[in-house]
Order: sequence, then structure tokens, then C-alpha cells
Amino acid sequence: MNKWLPWLVSILVLAASAPSIGEVAAEAAFRQGMTAVQSNDFASGLHYLELAITDDPDNLRYASEYRQAIIRRKEFDRSIEFFEKLLISNPSSANLHLNYGFAYVDKIPVVGSITQVILANTALGEFTKAVDLQPTWIALYTRGESYLFWPRIFGKAPLGVADLERALVIQQKSTKKSYFARVYVALGDGYCKMDLPDKARSTWQEGLRQFPDNLELKDRLSLPMDDLLKHIENGFDPNKRVDTDLRAIWSEGQ
Amino acid sequence: MPYRGALILGCLVISYPVAWCATGSTVRFEDVTTQAGINIRHHLRTYHGKSADVLRMFTGGGAAVAVGDYDNDGYEDLFITDSEEGQPNHLFHNNHDGTFTDVATEAGVAGGNDALNIVSDAIWFDYDNDGRLDLLVARFGTPLLYHNEGHGRFKDVTAGSGLNEFGNTIAVIAFDFDNDGYLDLLFGNYFQPVNLLDLKNPHVLPNNLDDATNGGGVTLWRNTGKGTFEEVTAKAGLGKVTGWTLDVGHGDFNNDGLQDIYLACDFGTDHVFLNNGDGTFREVTEKATGWDTKKGMNVDVADYNNDGWLDIYVTNIYDDYMKECAMLWQNMGDGTFTDVSAEVGVCDTGWGWAAKFGDFDNDGWQDLFVANGLRSAGPDNYLTILLPMITRPGLDFTDVNNWPDIGNRSWSGFQKKRFFHNRGDGTFSEVAAEAGINNDRDGRGIGVIDFDNDGRLDLVQTNADQAPIVYHNVSVNVGNWIELKLIGTKSNRDGIGARVQVQTAGLTQIRELDGGNGYAGESSRRLHFGIGTASKIDRLQIRWPSGRNEQFEVPIDSISSIEEGRGVLR
Repeated sequence: MNKWLPWLVSILVLAASAPSIGEVAAEAAFRQGMTAVQSNDFASGLHYLELAITDDPDNLRYASEYRQAIIRRKEFDRSIEFFEKLLISNPSSANLHLNYGFAYVDKIPVVGSITQVILANTALGEFTKAVDLQPTWIALYTRGESYLFWPRIFGKAPLGVADLERALVIQQKSTKKSYFARVYVALGDGYCKMDLPDKARSTWQEGLRQFPDNLELKDRLSLPMDDLLKHIENGFDPNKRVDTDLRAIWSEGQ
Repeated sequence: MPYRGALILGCLVISYPVAWCATGSTVRFEDVTTQAGINIRHHLRTYHGKSADVLRMFTGGGAAVAVGDYDNDGYEDLFITDSEEGQPNHLFHNNHDGTFTDVATEAGVAGGNDALNIVSDAIWFDYDNDGRLDLLVARFGTPLLYHNEGHGRFKDVTAGSGLNEFGNTIAVIAFDFDNDGYLDLLFGNYFQPVNLLDLKNPHVLPNNLDDATNGGGVTLWRNTGKGTFEEVTAKAGLGKVTGWTLDVGHGDFNNDGLQDIYLACDFGTDHVFLNNGDGTFREVTEKATGWDTKKGMNVDVADYNNDGWLDIYVTNIYDDYMKECAMLWQNMGDGTFTDVSAEVGVCDTGWGWAAKFGDFDNDGWQDLFVANGLRSAGPDNYLTILLPMITRPGLDFTDVNNWPDIGNRSWSGFQKKRFFHNRGDGTFSEVAAEAGINNDRDGRGIGVIDFDNDGRLDLVQTNADQAPIVYHNVSVNVGNWIELKLIGTKSNRDGIGARVQVQTAGLTQIRELDGGNGYAGESSRRLHFGIGTASKIDRLQIRWPSGRNEQFEVPIDSISSIEEGRGVLR
């Protein structure tokens, strides 16, 4: 019995570090889906991407690529229904809630102004579930930014700033990634919406020290206050598509 | 562009205020409401019962103005509506000295706001071609038709007119859709035909806030020429419109000599219909403009860029919480329109209501005045209690009892009016403050009027639950002008639908006489042209609704009357 023990231990170690059969299948389906989408075969592509997400619901990459394909096809209701159904069997997947919220955000520019409010509110609810399940950098940044889209009258800017400040703390303890600059941009915007221009400016300045090539930070620091506020508000126009492509995250690693 | 050049030079040499020169504008208005004797205010209707507050909010209009010279004395008069039960409408007779006298009671046109009817709009039109302007008062209820008997007296002839159908009419225009020489009526209806003052079923509000299909649509009434009207909505091809119509407008959009229509609908798509020339219309929305989800509030029609094709301006709601640009539909001349409002600078109107084109500085390019603002009341904002309702999953929006009371809250209130000055290069500058016209009342209707016959267009702005404002145009260094009063003979007597083309010093302009385009406001029946520094009219051509084309010579800086087939009256 003893002579088999080292082998057994080795097998167990390998099994723990290798992808599961489900993950292997998911990755295969993902690759098949991406190949189909890249050749504009959306019928097959979306099908395989849905299989991949079903096998690995917490995978941000699969879901993000799926949503980008959905945006190209303008089949927004399809992704909303897909994530909604998948959440029934995976209610504790934080990233699934996040992507479900993004699916609503993706639809916002193509609907009427009242429906935009309804979708934005629903998305916010999903982002909150993601934060409650797992307060990761991406979840906090996403919800924080989402709060900032709401007009001042609803008083959501302080909530957004609170999330973004938490995201900032997380990123300060992590290996530096270029997309962390987004938090400095958004946090400054949030301070502006709270009528704290000096705090906004110092946040952007700190961001620029960390990310000297970031154009959004440079733009904000170069504008006079009146133009700056307009610039920021223009950025929160619900008729403009929000970039919900998360490719930067896995290209640099989480 | 010699005139524009002269203006810019003038700015440099004469040292006008900097803002003036920066915009090229010389437009200036003075509020003369009190001096003019317009000492009234509008009252919203008070409802009773559980849903009173919400219904009052949802029907927060009814402040309308109609401009017309009802007594043919050469000076334009004003009819201004009220909406509260028992409150009179007002007929302001122009005293020729910058003042007006309310003669509504003596004339017999003060009534209309009773226990089951709410006055919402009004237009002047000569339905029997007798040369005197008659009056149509639209209501949430049944309309009122007053025949002008002459000598300042009107007779209520509604009962025998056939106009006895209940509707929640919010807009009405008169035009001769079948070119038979008699003016017909197109009603825009907001709610379905249920009496809100005696509500039996609470499910009366929009079934979707971006794509509602349970509104009142439109009703088209054909003038028989015998003093009566017959409803021809379905026959004419307009029966399938089920939107919440807020305004209706007409014009010859495809230059075929026939009057087409544009319907602005709240809570959903607008509609474009072309006239087939056989008493019917065909819907061309998909090709012409595409479908939209906006809150259409106003239709005004003008050739803003002087390219010979009529363009259309529609206000929507643009505020911190709702980014619906107004739509300036530039007529591409191929059956399609392109919305250029953002590109040319007329997108942001606030919560828009009426908007009217007019050349207020007589430079040959039509400017645009926009009324806005929903409800100016207390410091709290209705949105904060409206949002939870709107976002509640599965809530039935149609149920009036599901909407929170607005109480003393404001909602898109205290908004500054917009005055877009046409720069003559395809763009506009917003100069309301410089023009002295950036009031913050809850605007509704606009009447463009030259009440002192000086060739400078004045304005009347009506306001919901507030007093109207009369603006006197006191602009200096304005261009030359002509004003034309048209008299149809074979065509309808008012000449509505006539197209006038004026050529001066390299600039060609067109205008069409409309029968009440623009939300809650009918403008002057005289066609006004600014001609800049031109000292004469090179060519003036009229295409009458009958199809007759005629050319005339008229003096500049004066008002001319032109009769179809007869010429300029001296």
C-alpha cells in the first residue's frame, strides 16, 4: 500500500491544479464560439459561447466576449434571458450577476429614455448582488461607476464614490494594472458630482502620477471647471454606449 | 451673404456689446404684457376624487394662444384660453396703440370650461369662406365652433356643425387636405375618448412610457362646404394611429402641391403621412424619419436652411434625467429626413413645448423660439418619488392610482426659454438671455404676431397656471421685410397651404401659410419675410392650394394683401 502512496499524492496534486473536465469542455466551447463569431457565424457562435458560460458561469472572459458578440448582433434580449435563466441554477455566482447587469447596460442605448431608467436600475440591482457576494475590484468599480450615471437629483454620487474608494484600496494592495487608472478617473468624476472639485483634481493628479500616459486624466486636468463639468456629464449620456468589454482585465490578469 | 457681412462689420465698428457680436444677433424683446393690458393668468383644471392630483399633472396644459385679425381692421388680435371650470377664455382686441382689450364676453366666446369639458387649444379659420375668421375651441370634451357674425359678435354653431364627437383633443389645425376650397380640421387627441372629469376606469394612462399604444390618436374632419363637418379619419387612412398625440402639423413635405402631415406623439413614435391627392394619406414614417421612442411635443414646419424643402422641428424632453434631443428633421428632398438638431445647435430645449420659427431680425434666415418647463412649484422634486414607481417591476402604468401625487413638488420647472438665432450658415446660436426672452415660466404655447405692424415679429407665450407674456420686438438694425395677407378665391379664403417663394439679392426663401402648426399656438395669418439689406423683391411667386401659380410685385417694408386671381389689393 505504501509504495502506491507517492503516486496517489502526485495524482491528487495534478488533479487539483489541472482544469476540470467541465472547464476543459467550457474552454473548447468558448474557442469554437469565438471562431464562429469571428467568421460572422453568430448562430453557432452565440450557441457555443452560451455552452461555455453554462459550464463555467463565473468566467468573466467568456461572458464578456459573449456580450460583445450580442452587441454586434443587437440581440440584447437574448443575453438578458440567458443570464436570467443561468442565475436560477447559479445564484451565488458574483460574476454572473455582474454580467447579467452588464447585459442590461448593453441594451440601454437602444431603448427609450424611460426604459433606460428601468434598465439602469435593474443593472444596479445586479451589481449590488455581485458586490454582496464578492466585493472584488471589478464589482466595486462597476457599481461605483454605475451610480455616477444617475442624475444628481437622486443623490447616488456619494454611494458611487464610496464604492470607488474601496476599489482604490484594493488596487493599491495589488500589482499595478493599466486599467486601474479608470478608478482615478471615475473617482474624480464622482467628487465633481459631489461638488468637491479640489478633491477631484487631486485624485486625477494622483492618478496621473501613477499612469502618466492616461489621456482621460490629462483631459480632465486640462479643462477649466465649467467645461470640465460639461465634459463629465456628457460622458454620462445614456444614449452613448458604455464600454463593457472586460478584455483588458484578463489581458493583464486580475 | 452681403447682409451678414455688413452685420459683422457693424459689430466691429459700432462696438455693440461683445456677446451681441459673437453671435451676430441683434434681436431684442421687451416684456410689455402689463402695458398691453394682458392682465390675466391661466388656471389648470381642478379635478376631484382620489386621482385628482395625478390627472391634474397629466393634463397640465390648456394654455393656448391663437393670433388672428377677426374684425379685419388690419391689426391682429389674440384669443387666449383658460382651463379651469368657470374661468373665461379671453379675446383681446388690438386697439392699434400697443394695447388690447378683452372683449370675449361681449363677443360670445368666453365660455367653454364647464363641468365636463376642459379648454385645451384654439384656432382661427374661415370655415365658410365668408372673409371673416371663425373660431374653433378644442377641448378635452367636445369642441366648440363659433361663427364670426361680423361686428365683433360670434355665434356658437357647434350643434349643427357635426363636430359633436367627444375626444381628449390637445391640438387642432385647419388645412384643406382634399383641396376642395374648404378648410378641414385635424384634431390631435391625447387620451382615449374617456371623460377624465367623470372617470369610471382608472386605467387611462400610457401603457408604456416609451412606446405607448393606448392614446387618442387623431381625428380628421372634412368640411362639407355646407357649414358642417364629417369625420373621415379611417377613410383618409389615419385611423390606425393610437399614440398619445400632443401636436399635429402640416406642410407640403415633398413639393407635390399637396398638404402632408406630421404627428408628434408623447410616450412613443411620431408619424409622417403623405397626401395621396385623393382624400387619403399614406404613412411613410419608416422611410421618412424612422420610428422613435421620444416624447414628441410640438410640430413646426419651415425651410430653416433656405434650400427649398420644408423642414420640421419637434420638441422632446431634454433634462438631467432624460436626454431626448429635440428633432430638427432636415428634409433631404428624397422622401427622407435627417435629424440634425445636435449638429446645428437646437437639441437642448429642456422640457420642450411649443417652438416656432420666425425671422425675428429680418435677415432672411428663420430663427426659433422654444417654450419649455413642466411644473415650477416647491423645492422638492417629483422625480425622487416617481423613480421608485417607474422602476417597480410589473407595475401597471395605466392605473392612475399607481402614480404618486405630485403635491407641491416641482418637475422640470423654472426652465429658461431658448431662442435659437439662425446664423445663416446652417447652425444656430442660443441667445435667449441676450434677447431678453429667457423667462422661466412653465411655457406652453407660442403665437408669433406683428401686433404693431412694424415688420418686426413679436411673440406671445402662454404658460400653464401662470400669466402669459407678450414680448415686443424692439430689435435694432434689423433688415427689410414684407408681410403678405393672402386671400384665396378658388382656394380656401384664408390661403392656408399656399406656398410663397421670394427671391431677393441671391437669396430664395419659401414659406407656407399654416393653419395652427405648433403646440397650443396659432401664429399670424400674414406671411412674414425678412429680406436683409435687399431694397426690392426680385421675384414673388405664389402657388395657391388650388394649383394656380401667380407672380406679383409688392413694395418692401410694408404689408400687402394679395387675392388669388386678382393680384395685390391697393
